[in-house]
Amino acid sequence: MNTHSGNRIRVLIADDDEHILQCYRMAFGENDATDFVGSLGSLEAELFDQDAESPAAPKFEIVACNQGGDAIALAARAATEGRPFDVVILDVRMPPGIDGVEAGSEIRKLDPEVEIVFVTGFSDVPISELARRVPPPVKLHYFNKPLSFMELAESVAGMVRAG
Amino acid sequence: MSPKASLSLQQKVSVTLLAVMAALALLSYLVLNATVAPAFAELELAAAEKNVVRAHRAIQNELENLGATVGDWAPWDDAHKYALGENPRFIKSNLDIPTMINLGVDLLIIYDARGEALWSQLLLDGKLANHEKLAVLQLIESKPQELIYHTDLQGSKEGLLRTAVGPMLLSSRPIITSDKTGPIVGTIIMCRFLNATRQAALRERTEVSLTWHLIDSESLLDESLMEDIVAGGAGSFTYAVDDEEIRAYGLLTDLFGEPLLILQADTPRQISALGGRTVNGALLFLSAAGIVIAIVTWLLLRRIIVLPLERLANHITGIRTSGDLSLRLNEKRVDEIGALACEFDKMTLQVHDARRQLLDQSFKAGKADTAAEVLHNIRNAMTPLINGIDRLSKTFRIAGDLRVQQAIEELYDQECPQGRRDKLLQYVRSAFSHVEQASDRAVQDLQVASRQARQVEAILSDQERHANVAPVIESLELQSMIEEAALVIPDKDTSGIELSLHPELARFSVVAHRVGLVQVLGNLILNAWESIKRSQSESGSIRVTARIDDSGERSLVRVTIADSGCGFTDELHPKIFQRGFSSKRGHLSGLGLHWCANALASMGGRISAESAGADRGAEFHVVLPGSTTEAASARRRKQQGRDREVGKDREIVVAEMAGRMQREYAQR
Repeated sequence: MNTHSGNRIRVLIADDDEHILQCYRMAFGENDATDFVGSLGSLEAELFDQDAESPAAPKFEIVACNQGGDAIALAARAATEGRPFDVVILDVRMPPGIDGVEAGSEIRKLDPEVEIVFVTGFSDVPISELARRVPPPVKLHYFNKPLSFMELAESVAGMVRAG
Repeated sequence: MSPKASLSLQQKVSVTLLAVMAALALLSYLVLNATVAPAFAELELAAAEKNVVRAHRAIQNELENLGATVGDWAPWDDAHKYALGENPRFIKSNLDIPTMINLGVDLLIIYDARGEALWSQLLLDGKLANHEKLAVLQLIESKPQELIYHTDLQGSKEGLLRTAVGPMLLSSRPIITSDKTGPIVGTIIMCRFLNATRQAALRERTEVSLTWHLIDSESLLDESLMEDIVAGGAGSFTYAVDDEEIRAYGLLTDLFGEPLLILQADTPRQISALGGRTVNGALLFLSAAGIVIAIVTWLLLRRIIVLPLERLANHITGIRTSGDLSLRLNEKRVDEIGALACEFDKMTLQVHDARRQLLDQSFKAGKADTAAEVLHNIRNAMTPLINGIDRLSKTFRIAGDLRVQQAIEELYDQECPQGRRDKLLQYVRSAFSHVEQASDRAVQDLQVASRQARQVEAILSDQERHANVAPVIESLELQSMIEEAALVIPDKDTSGIELSLHPELARFSVVAHRVGLVQVLGNLILNAWESIKRSQSESGSIRVTARIDDSGERSLVRVTIADSGCGFTDELHPKIFQRGFSSKRGHLSGLGLHWCANALASMGGRISAESAGADRGAEFHVVLPGSTTEAASARRRKQQGRDREVGKDREIVVAEMAGRMQREYAQR
């Protein structure tokens, strides 16, 4: 398993839709609101319910791009710098460049330990074909759009904890 | 095949046959003239030669006959005694004129042993003549050793001799006793002239047109011809040939071996004439046979090859101009052309199937691509929308969980410590600040949701544009459509439901959109099957029939799908084709009768239903533009007889029909 820096989980996300990337950023807490809600929650716990303080939410470090080729380049650079990604989230269809499956296959060659997550609206590639091209199956995950990215963020955190 | 091409093929066959016949006639003429005619000419020459030989043999027979007569008279005691001068009455008793005439002897001479003539008598044309004037005796006596004197008792001298009155046969024998013992006491010579009378007799006897010519300056023969004959010698033959006859010549020598007489046998050229007639007859027969064979061959070629090929070519042209791959030759022949037609039908069927599969595949592939694209785009558009709502929900959930009310109540409490009061105030301010931020984010999220909803609408609008693309309208064999549609019935169905397709279905073709028609028919058959299943009966039947619908001006085909299922009541009848109607209790309906009605309307057809009531079965009638295969066959036959303009007209009509139906489909 890759060692994430501090408490932050490094996640590489590739999707050709900028609106979806924005959703990823919001869901994975890359804004001030999360910190603000966190401080409000701490104050509330201090005032009203000292024993019910919730555990600290996972922290993510998001790196986003729009094309499969960019994802491969970012993964390669991260590996070279000794800061590999913990999780790579790929859309299957990312025209006009290479698709997510090919990108995942190349990233797997660069980093055998990374968890690879395919998130797509529709894939004409069967899951068995995905498992064949991006092994091992235990480090391969598949989600269909539309989905709750907050739940996805929790799943990603779970993958890192389990890994 | 165009008329021009058809004529060209027939012309080629005709010219080839004529050339072969002319070559055969020429070859026959050459062969017959090179073999049969010369054979007849050789046969004719042989006959002419035989005639000369026969004439020569006849003269030899004359000579032998004369020799035999002399042979009777020479060994005779009476003649012996007369030669010795002992029988003076011998002459009077035996040698009168009638006796010589009977013996055929023209000259008779008796010599004694010294060669002195004891008695002689000459007859010319049966009358006594003076032989001294004719110098015949002198001629004989000028060659005593050769003609008069004999040393052998059995000796004889015979041959031809030239005389002043013409050629003469001469036989000389010694006179001896009757017992043929010597001594030789004299010589008896008998002569016979080869005159006109004898020539006529020889002609009659030999049946040969015989003449002879003395070799002298008065001969009527051409001098060079005579020289050729003489140069050839005795035993050889010379010929002179003209159109009428062959004149064959042979040489006869006299007693002394000198050329004396030329025999001429004239042979009419009957054999050559017969040969000519034979050759002409053979040529005529071969020509007639050739003409008959050529005509029969031409007719057979036309019937067996040209016309079938013409039918095949017209069939291909018909398919090309109409684009109707359902047309079939159905050739019953079992020869190569029949096999060719059969293979062409199979190939057309395969092309038909391939085109149909390609259309299906492209249709399905297009649908699959479209579906994939729509799924991808809509799900992508929905994702920010859902996440925005999700986030909104979480934000307000947090806001709802804030304990602001409790904090304010504690602030109203005068006993609340100042430190806690300050933190409560900080909490309340932070809570309001959070609510304010949440409201701002809610506005943003709702804006995102609105934008994404518009994007979904844009995607759907784009699909609506594709929905107006008209499908391919084509001529379809009804039976194969129904057989394909019937595949909707589960393979493992053991419910005892019988599906029967009427044989008459094979006669009909309809003009429709193939996939749409299969879906409509499949839907109706499946409805019927499910209706029977719902009726709880142990068995049931689905009958599919078709007939011409002559209710309108257009050529229409009515297909009826009748089942023994649940049926429907009169109350339900008006609702059957309404949107959303389903008689299937608790069952998700398929395409629905509403869709079927719309699809058929877009193809220029219509649908209707009738039932005798609940649990009494139902009938669904589908009416579509179409024609029978008999009509298609009639069209093919008519097309073969028409020129290209007619073909163009029909092509225009078909194109107009397809265009009209596609426009109707697009409008709907």
